[in-house]
Amino acid sequence: MNSLAEKYSTTSPLSKLRKAQQLAEDEELSDAMWGSSAGFGSLAKGIPSFTVAPVPDPAAFLRLHTDDHADPNCRIKIQHGTTTLAFRYKGGVIVAVDSRATAGSYVASGTVKKVIEINPYLLGTMAGGAADCQYWETYLGMHCRLHELRNRERISVSAASKYLSNLVYSYKGMGLSMGTMICGWDKTGPCIFYVDSDGTRLKGDLFSVGSGSTFAYGVLDQGYHWDLTDEEAQELGRRSIYAAGHRDAFSGNTCNLYHVKQDGWHFIGNYDLSKLHYEGPNNVAGQGYGYDVRTEGRTSANPPPAATATA
Amino acid sequence: MSIMEYNGGSVVAMVGKDCVAIASDLRLGNQALGISSNFQKIFPVTDRIYVGLPGLATDLSTLRERFRFRVNMYTIKEEREIEPETFARLVSSTLYEHRFGPYFIEPVIAGLSKTPSGGVEPFIAATDLIGCLNFAKDFVVAGTASAKIFGVAEGLWEPNLEPEDLFETISQTLMNAVDRDAFSGWGCMVHVITKDRVITRTLKARMD
Amino acid sequence: METSFALTGKGYVIIAADTTAARSIVKMKVDADKIKVLSPHLLMSYSGEPGDTIQFAEYVERNIRLYQIRNLYALTPSAAASWIRRSLAESLRSRNPYAVNLLVGGYDTTSHQPHLYWIDYLGTMTEIPFGAHGYGSYFALSLLDRYHDPEASLEEGLSTLKRCINEVAKRLVVSPDRYTVKVVDKDGVREVEL
Repeated sequence: MNSLAEKYSTTSPLSKLRKAQQLAEDEELSDAMWGSSAGFGSLAKGIPSFTVAPVPDPAAFLRLHTDDHADPNCRIKIQHGTTTLAFRYKGGVIVAVDSRATAGSYVASGTVKKVIEINPYLLGTMAGGAADCQYWETYLGMHCRLHELRNRERISVSAASKYLSNLVYSYKGMGLSMGTMICGWDKTGPCIFYVDSDGTRLKGDLFSVGSGSTFAYGVLDQGYHWDLTDEEAQELGRRSIYAAGHRDAFSGNTCNLYHVKQDGWHFIGNYDLSKLHYEGPNNVAGQGYGYDVRTEGRTSANPPPAATATA
Repeated sequence: MSIMEYNGGSVVAMVGKDCVAIASDLRLGNQALGISSNFQKIFPVTDRIYVGLPGLATDLSTLRERFRFRVNMYTIKEEREIEPETFARLVSSTLYEHRFGPYFIEPVIAGLSKTPSGGVEPFIAATDLIGCLNFAKDFVVAGTASAKIFGVAEGLWEPNLEPEDLFETISQTLMNAVDRDAFSGWGCMVHVITKDRVITRTLKARMD
Repeated sequence: METSFALTGKGYVIIAADTTAARSIVKMKVDADKIKVLSPHLLMSYSGEPGDTIQFAEYVERNIRLYQIRNLYALTPSAAASWIRRSLAESLRSRNPYAVNLLVGGYDTTSHQPHLYWIDYLGTMTEIPFGAHGYGSYFALSLLDRYHDPEASLEEGLSTLKRCINEVAKRLVVSPDRYTVKVVDKDGVREVEL
């Protein structure tokens, strides 16, 4: 009954899609006139259009065949495990992410770029569906540029994140999966917004998203305060991603670190978590973050002095 | 979530020239959460036989105790050390005794058996969780990374490797394979069994 | 949600467990002690299925005591932990298994070493320098990886424990607000106030 109602409704996301499709099929506005437009050709029409399955309820059809934790046999696999974090402090914003992509227990890639450089002042992080994040955050970048051209000033982080939030919310229930942090520096200073595909949008000082987020929070919360120096802040971001990579099976490989300052974002570096474990960020053997490395030679045994003397 | 993937972990054994090697990772997990990075899955049975027990960790401990008991009983009754092939049969029948409520372990056995001429012959075997024996002439694998280990081993292994070369081969095979498996890793341990001694080493592996 | 932590330090083990006994959405008791003293130098925290927890803990408590009465000496921590694990593993394949997660901590008076064992309801056991059960483990383990020191004094150990409790209180949706904390060292077992 619900699907029947949706089929004839004019306000559901489905009908919007149908309308967009009809527009795309319209000869005057065909994709072809834009040449190769990498899927963004529809920009002229306001809202991108997508091919949907030719069944009565495409959303339900898609949901049935898209992988989630309940049913690993699904045909469409979406990248899941991740750790991403961002925090605001007096010196700007630190953004740190891992680089592992898993499909079930298989580590499909260890070199994924989970920070999306939207423009020189805006960064987006990637958790959930990799393609969803990449596509919509790139798309967001195009609209941020249009905003600049129209209004002769850079878009605020708040406005950009609200734009993304509204966009993904209009697709709610159709299987988009993203948990992202939009980070940047605008007139108000350093700024972070958490945006996800449920439609939640939160402003805050400190966020972590993904399967390893709890582990990252554990280290991050205990080391965080507003007056960190730049070095301390970068170290905290790196250390937190390491902690998550260590404990969470679905996070790891390398850490990508970014620092957003008044003049835009700066890429600080790519750190192999294995190196961080054994040698730490300065590549000195024995100065690693690893528990065994850190506590080597230390023992909880407590023999009385007399026993030590006789032994 | 498969019960065989609940704790994670993998074991591989390889044949060399008058030697065998057996290696495992050291992770104990609770699905995605790592609990311990010092969880051994390979145990000595005699001076010349080692057994690896990847699978459900509670059954690993239980089976380890059972095998120790049964091998001790065998040694007392027969007044001699058990041979690898005999031990493999013992493993197989112990598992099949639980045919309708199995232990979730896929054992891997590596050892040197005595030949009539007084020399030694390498022996490896693996079974499934209800005791179907698989005697191989090259290598056997088990655990969550088994498919990945097979791939690397097919590429790296060659016949008649000397102990040091076999160590290098099995170490590279295991380390590179578990780096592609989310549920295995967190350190590796290798044993190379030769006629005179057993070389045991822990490897500096990725810890993520 | 039920949460328990444990960590070792220089010559001691600290075990902390929350004090709530919940049934459905109701807190039936807010000052429950979920850490049993099994012998003069042995502690065990238990959590899991209500009913199973207390039944199993008391079964273990009585049997460890029985051993001591019969043999005039107590089991070492490793021996006691192995026996407890075996009881759980046997129960797992019975008609009515105990669903209980344990942290067993003790001080071995013969080797002067503290020992801590992590045991889950399946009978999985491993010795660890620090550990946790429940949702709290997802926040506390990374923190303990960072701050735990095997040679920490009792004061330092307790302050690390406070970090764990503080972190769980900050991030876990339904976090416990009170904990019982017990310490075992060469002088035996005692409860401490945080």
